[in-house]
Amino acid sequence: MAEQPREDLVNLTIDGRPVSVPKGSLIWAAARKLGIEIPIYCYHPKMEPLGACRMCFVAVEKMPKLATACTTVVTEGMVVRTDTPAVKKGRQGTLEFLLINHPLDCPVCDKGGECDLQDFTLRHGPGGSRFDVSKRHFAKPIPVSEQILLDRERCIACQRCARFCQSVAMEDGLAMQERGFRTEVGVDPAAPFDSIFSGNVVEMCPVGALTAKSYRFVSRPWELKKTGSVCGLCSVGCNVRVDVRVDKVLRQYSRPNDDVDDGWLCDRGRWELDAINSQERLRTPLIRKDGLLQPASWDEAMRLVAGRLREIAERDGPGAVGGIGSTHTTNEEAYLFQKLLRAGLGTNNVDHHHGRFPAAAPGAVLPWAWTDSIAGLERASDILILGADPYHRQPIVDLRIRKAIRAGARVHIVTPEPNRLDRLAATVLRYTPGHTGEIARALLNVVTAEGLTRGEFAAQRAATVEARRASVANDTPEQVAETAGIESAALRALARDLAGAEAAVILYDEMATREPSGATLAADLLDLALLTGNFGRPGAGVGPLMEDNNSLGARDMGLLPDTLPGYRLVADQDARAALGAVWGATLVGEPGQTYEEMLGGGVKALYVLGADPARHLADAQLTHLNGFEFLVVQDMFLTETARRADVVLPAVAYTEKDGSFTNTERRVQRVRQAMQPLPGAKADWEILVGVARALGLSWRYLTPAEILSEIGRTVPLYAGASRRALGELGACWPLSPGARTPEGRPTVSGSPFLTWEMFERGVAPSGVSGATGAAGPELAVARGREE
Amino acid sequence: MADTLDTVITEGKALPLGPYPRIVTKDFEVPGIDRIEVYRQHGGYAALAKALRDIPPDTLAEEVKKSGLRGRGGAGFATGVKWGFLPKTAPKPRYLAVNCDESEPGTFKDRMIMEVSPHLLVEGTILAAYATHVHHAFIYVRGELAFAGRQVERAVREAYDAGLIGKDILGSGFDLDVTVARGAGAYICGEESALMESLEGKRGYPRLKPPFPAVVGLYGGPTVINNAETVSTLPAIVTLGADAYTAYGTEKSKGTRIFCLSGHVERPGNYELPLGTPMRVLIEDFGGGVRGGKRLKAIIPGGSSTPFLLPEHLDTPLDFESVAAAGSMLGSGGVIVLDEDTCIVAAVLRMSEFYRDESCGKCTPCREGTFWLVQLLERLEHGEGKASDLDLLNDICDNIAGKVFCPLGDAATSSIVSSIKLFRDEYLHHVRAHGCLVGPGARKH
Ligand SMILES: Cc1cc2nc3c(=O)[nH]c(=O)nc-3n(C[C@H](O)[C@H](O)[C@H](O)COP(=O)(O)O)c2cc1C
Ligand code: SF4
Ligand code: SF4
Ligand code: FES
Repeated sequence: MAEQPREDLVNLTIDGRPVSVPKGSLIWAAARKLGIEIPIYCYHPKMEPLGACRMCFVAVEKMPKLATACTTVVTEGMVVRTDTPAVKKGRQGTLEFLLINHPLDCPVCDKGGECDLQDFTLRHGPGGSRFDVSKRHFAKPIPVSEQILLDRERCIACQRCARFCQSVAMEDGLAMQERGFRTEVGVDPAAPFDSIFSGNVVEMCPVGALTAKSYRFVSRPWELKKTGSVCGLCSVGCNVRVDVRVDKVLRQYSRPNDDVDDGWLCDRGRWELDAINSQERLRTPLIRKDGLLQPASWDEAMRLVAGRLREIAERDGPGAVGGIGSTHTTNEEAYLFQKLLRAGLGTNNVDHHHGRFPAAAPGAVLPWAWTDSIAGLERASDILILGADPYHRQPIVDLRIRKAIRAGARVHIVTPEPNRLDRLAATVLRYTPGHTGEIARALLNVVTAEGLTRGEFAAQRAATVEARRASVANDTPEQVAETAGIESAALRALARDLAGAEAAVILYDEMATREPSGATLAADLLDLALLTGNFGRPGAGVGPLMEDNNSLGARDMGLLPDTLPGYRLVADQDARAALGAVWGATLVGEPGQTYEEMLGGGVKALYVLGADPARHLADAQLTHLNGFEFLVVQDMFLTETARRADVVLPAVAYTEKDGSFTNTERRVQRVRQAMQPLPGAKADWEILVGVARALGLSWRYLTPAEILSEIGRTVPLYAGASRRALGELGACWPLSPGARTPEGRPTVSGSPFLTWEMFERGVAPSGVSGATGAAGPELAVARGREE
Repeated sequence: MADTLDTVITEGKALPLGPYPRIVTKDFEVPGIDRIEVYRQHGGYAALAKALRDIPPDTLAEEVKKSGLRGRGGAGFATGVKWGFLPKTAPKPRYLAVNCDESEPGTFKDRMIMEVSPHLLVEGTILAAYATHVHHAFIYVRGELAFAGRQVERAVREAYDAGLIGKDILGSGFDLDVTVARGAGAYICGEESALMESLEGKRGYPRLKPPFPAVVGLYGGPTVINNAETVSTLPAIVTLGADAYTAYGTEKSKGTRIFCLSGHVERPGNYELPLGTPMRVLIEDFGGGVRGGKRLKAIIPGGSSTPFLLPEHLDTPLDFESVAAAGSMLGSGGVIVLDEDTCIVAAVLRMSEFYRDESCGKCTPCREGTFWLVQLLERLEHGEGKASDLDLLNDICDNIAGKVFCPLGDAATSSIVSSIKLFRDEYLHHVRAHGCLVGPGARKH
């Protein structure tokens, strides 16, 4: 963060202590900087000041009345006091008022122990009440949604919930109803509260008025062990606090990281934690004996896995074994998995289920990741959502898009199905499912055919632009309208909008690339961004919204048959040599088999880690899974695939181990162990270390942190990564080592957005070093188009 | 100018008007003055024509400033000065909102204007818009005033048809649209920022200030909000000229004002009088004195939001400064007279119920405090209170006044605090005798 210029700072004193804060700051924020608590209810730092609850009184010199710290902007030389008798009386008065109608049912309130009404009453309130008349009563909790209950007697009418629904989520939901002392929160019966963001109101509610069904009467807050971590449910990677009671995860709360989640969580991340607490989880290794999977010891199972893999590799060559990795496990585990196959078994047969991104080729550029960031959306003038559904699949990205809309962005929704953002969009276009690729080409067609290319990149590459024009010459909107059933005139207008946009972000779903028409979708959209100048600055960019919590990390870590960690080609002699030296192995230069090839029977022994390929196979193909000579599955559950395995190794959930995930905006973030591993199961990295040892490899990793440090040393994209350097908030790759903090902690600096120059320098995943060669960087499609 | 005791008909009820110079209500007894032809026959819209023809907008605004006109909505802020807060340029259109939400207990002058002479209001609205360079004005009529709302709607339609609203009014090049909006029954929507919320179709909660409406108002544009009577005074100012207008009233409270006299008087009604007219003249000469020859007990001089005055204040001139010096406020001009048989606790309870029910509920002290106050007053009134309740009432009021989000909460405390001060013994009588001192519930020890 840049230093604030001095003239933009305002100096004031609070309780006699000087403080400087940026112009426009509220007294509340200035006091917070000094560590002075000013109690608040209605104010929420992510929403506009409201001034309703009258809790945050302070005395400001020369102001006749008490001021509300949440609405009063600091001025130069301001003298603020938070400790005068008048301030105390004001705050006590408000608390006394709030308590007159409060049921005081703290002993049976889920919020008790983490309730601002309790806490502020203790710290700022009157010790007693003079209220000796009748309280207002309401029927005790009423459901306001499937998951949330409302106790109107506990409500202090701070409006946080209603304002969240209206102004942050911009969805129907809670609203203030009635007036005066009859004020209550409620829902419009005609507009049910079914937002995926609903749970935020439970967390924001300063009292126990809004409670989650799933947490009701389940625990007292002080019984919870709270661990800062990252949510493992989708590719956004919201920062969370995992709240565990004994051996159960009860909920995830937000651990605000403004760059990622802006302090919000979706209901999936908050509540859909059943898998972790499931009774169905595997608690012991299983080995197939007499045709049945039977409990076995870890020692026996790991020995068997190592022995059989080695045996088959020696008998039929390393190409006879292969591994399918996971989009859920940590970077450390993905890294170890491919290392086990490459260095331990001598094969590049490693892959995972992923989107279709054009393969690496010399000179090609492969930023198959979002080139901008989640926070960057706020700076976009236009956002195109093509064939994606962030509301359901990456909800907190959807929420950020809503914030961008409030900041003035125009959103263009081009999807087969109705989208939750339609109501707020500038453009809404529908098309026949499966045709996303054609739409991308039609956009490119308009931009090139109408001469709408913009920016230096296009200006310097007339020949490439011409080649690109020719390659999509037939993909006119009118043509695509025929096949994809989309409105051609609107599509044409959209292309022009993108070309004329101040800063556009183009987002598509990773899995849209797997459609029949999607082979070049990623490349076409990257080119669209490059040719329209929507690249290389915040608020402009392009990229896939990834499927799972570590879909991008899996790629980064080399769970691909043709690339080593950090997208260096296996064919790259230098890269192989460098890694081989660290790993103490000679690496193979031939690309290995793909996911489909291995599952199609290309290997005799298959090691499946944290994946369930049976889900992606047609019934007819399922028999392939029975055809392997040796199938190992490492998973939390006895999946369809695991049922067919020879050995099943029980793994633990992300809440039970340390490590890191890389989210859809390239942010590498630490995941922390929040609970004891399920007895009988082990973390994937631990299992891999055990198997490697059984294979005779001298792996000595004792903690995931050691693995991450090795990644930080060997993978240029993750240069400098370590448990300590990633800190609380993580950083977006490409990473580079930063200066140490005064306390001596190492740091890394990240790249919130990718620039063209990064590829020229070869810092970003530029396929091969040839990117800086004589030809210079070219359009993605020009070289690397074919799979 | 009428100088005899006349009457005006409003909804079939004869209301007396005074022998004092009347400039705003001068034609109110003309039959059919609510129709455009009659209104024009009596000189209606001549002020508008004169202004559009001869007076550039900024000159008109200057003239209004010179007239010393102060807002009739309650706060008494100088109208010309308020207009001056509008920024010269702004990215969004500017608006005028005419506040006809009149809901203050004891106040019924705007209603009379709307019902009797809606074209006066419309003409004033056009003049205000012209002087402030506004091209879209809203007239916000209190929801319960159905007849008034219909009268204003018809007047606006007639004015549109006559080319007095719309494009290029009277060939002046000045364009104006006027929209009549109806409230939905909330006192708080008379507060200017809640009024704007309501106009925008939102819940009537007051807005945070700053920004003030003149800078960021309706739909985010700079907005002037003026009371119905305020704008209805503009035609007279244009006709007479600022200098003639300032001949009426006192040094700081210029012109005339419509006083709404209600309560225990012989002839309740609306009386237009020069500011500074002694309260005694209004109550005794115009109102015919206390009803049934009873003795005067107390006066609320400016609507229910203003503190009580005593009979000894009868000679207080009705202008902003003098009433303030006497310990109350001129407020909305609603003079409520209470006779000797009135139980002060009951009267205060009734008013407090109003504030409890009309509190918008946004801020804690007003929402919860008024609820508590009413319960305490209830038990006092029913003879079940304690002497210490008086201190408690005062302290609750102290925790409300000056601490709430908008003036409604402050207003809720006026009658309580002033009555405990002025009528403490009567409260204590309720405690001691378990009943009222006077009136139907009276109980001696
Ligand atoms: C609770 C409350 C209710 C109000 N009700 C009215 C009203 O009904 N009519 C009105 O003109 N002003 C009312 N006001 C005053 C307005 O906020 C505003 O000051 C006025 O409309 C400005 O017009 P003026 O300057 O012409 O007086 C009210 C204020 C408050 C705080
Ligand atoms: S339910 Fe909670 S968040 Fe909503 S208004 Fe009441 S106290 Fe505030
Ligand atoms: S004082 Fe508070 S609760 Fe009362 S009307 Fe104003 S904003 Fe609403
Ligand atoms: S927190 Fe300041 S008024 Fe509510």
